[in-house]
Amino acid sequence: MEHSFARRIDSLDDIFEFLTRAGDSMGVPTAVWFSVNLVVEELFTNMVRHDREGSQDISLRINREGDCVKLSLTDFDVDDFDITRVPEVNTAAPLEERRPGGLGLHLVRRMTDDLSYHYENRKRTVTASLKLHE
Amino acid sequence: MNKDPFAIRLESKGVVRLSGRLDASQADMAKAFLEPFSEPLVLDFTDLDYISSAGLSVLMITLKRLESSGHTLRLRNVRDRIQNVLRYAGLDAVFTIE
Repeated sequence: MEHSFARRIDSLDDIFEFLTRAGDSMGVPTAVWFSVNLVVEELFTNMVRHDREGSQDISLRINREGDCVKLSLTDFDVDDFDITRVPEVNTAAPLEERRPGGLGLHLVRRMTDDLSYHYENRKRTVTASLKLHE
Repeated sequence: MNKDPFAIRLESKGVVRLSGRLDASQADMAKAFLEPFSEPLVLDFTDLDYISSAGLSVLMITLKRLESSGHTLRLRNVRDRIQNVLRYAGLDAVFTIE
């Protein structure tokens, strides 16, 4: 399944509705779908916030491949920004040293079994896989 | 997954109840609701279905603000999936969870 969404934060309602339909049609366990929702939200909001000048919709593709859910988000006519190279946040740091930024990509790394990045012709694509285990 | 919209309300003195999905589109509303509180606070998550990093940021900001003035922030009735998100973020040890 594939759909494009306006690059603004309030597209999230439409994205979650799309994901609910996709999850139902793919027969994905609820616990895994919670993670899929979270990973898509974090990747989508990262794209929206990182390229505020971008004007084109962001494309979301999701499908089931065996015992995995594979999803990809593509952002068009944007600069290169490899999220897989963003430094890890120190989640063991005490509260006073913690900063909210960076937690989203940290959660994506924790919740996905595979995460990859591709940039070509000003098109940025992030692909993630999640296994269908509880 | 539950698709109930996000809501936040004062349930009783010092107890705020959150429900639905606390995602990036709702985080500003949650932050604005919590900002005026300057007392020990309990956030009741009984009906909270979902939280993302944007919601976690609101929790961290609120905790820091209350602790800086000598108050506490506790989380109550946290569902397993949300507890997992807190754990992945390294925040399960930062918050007092009832």
